[in-house]
Amino acid sequence: MTDSPRDAEFDAMVLDALPHVVRFARSLAHDEALADDLVQETYLRAYRGWATFKQGLDARRWLFTICRNVYLRHREREARVVDTSGEDAELESLAASVEHGEADRSGLAHVIDRIDVGPAIRAALVAVPEVYRTTVILVDVEGESYETAAEILGVPVGTVRSRLFRARRLLQQSLYTYAVDAGIVRNTSVPSQEGVDR
Amino acid sequence: MTTTDTQRDIPALIDCETAARALYDFLDGRLPHATMQAVQAHVDTCTTCAGHYRFARRVLDLIPAAVPLAGESHALRLKIVESLKAEGYIERAAG
Repeated sequence: MTDSPRDAEFDAMVLDALPHVVRFARSLAHDEALADDLVQETYLRAYRGWATFKQGLDARRWLFTICRNVYLRHREREARVVDTSGEDAELESLAASVEHGEADRSGLAHVIDRIDVGPAIRAALVAVPEVYRTTVILVDVEGESYETAAEILGVPVGTVRSRLFRARRLLQQSLYTYAVDAGIVRNTSVPSQEGVDR
Repeated sequence: MTTTDTQRDIPALIDCETAARALYDFLDGRLPHATMQAVQAHVDTCTTCAGHYRFARRVLDLIPAAVPLAGESHALRLKIVESLKAEGYIERAAG
């Protein structure tokens, strides 16, 4: 054990969350080295600000917020603005259902449990803009609520919802493309790209 | 029950388009109780929508496993600990 109660708490609550922070940082930055730098800076800031951390709160959530802020500072120099103002969450749901029709006709729905879709999902996550990727990681992977994700990302809950639905639809679409390209299912038609580049 | 910020009144009997629009809100349990029931009733009787819902649910279930936790990077942990030591951090002794 450490001689310092402060550092023992930090170890238990913050350092032990390292794998989660690494995964979140990698969702922000494609580059592994950059992600590692983000994590290191996150921990440095967390340690410096540990006295301000309110006991009882979720340390992982706190770290995600710091990591996001570190990333934003980094990105300020090379900002790539993704306009998500025109997103309509319900339309994403609707489009996902329509595209499922294609997947169903191709046979994907019947084989999805028998193929390894991990590579397709990972590739799709790399391909989508960071704002979608981080939302999926927080809600669908880390299990955070919409409200918590909104707090971490500094956006309204409605924005989390629309980004999440768009990301899920893109992932579903990518599974179909992956299965067609791999010859697992037949191509019934090209899935709609409507909205992808809006 | 949590609700979304874009709730609309959904009648007890809904059509396929309304059910499709409610897909992800339903799967996340973010619709009002009456709306959840209306969607469920539709999905229970519409094989097309039931297929959409099952497939979307399955895709959502597959996402977490596709993005596993990063393996503990010993090198990264060491790097972090070293930078924290410069701030006064005292490393936990082994054992």
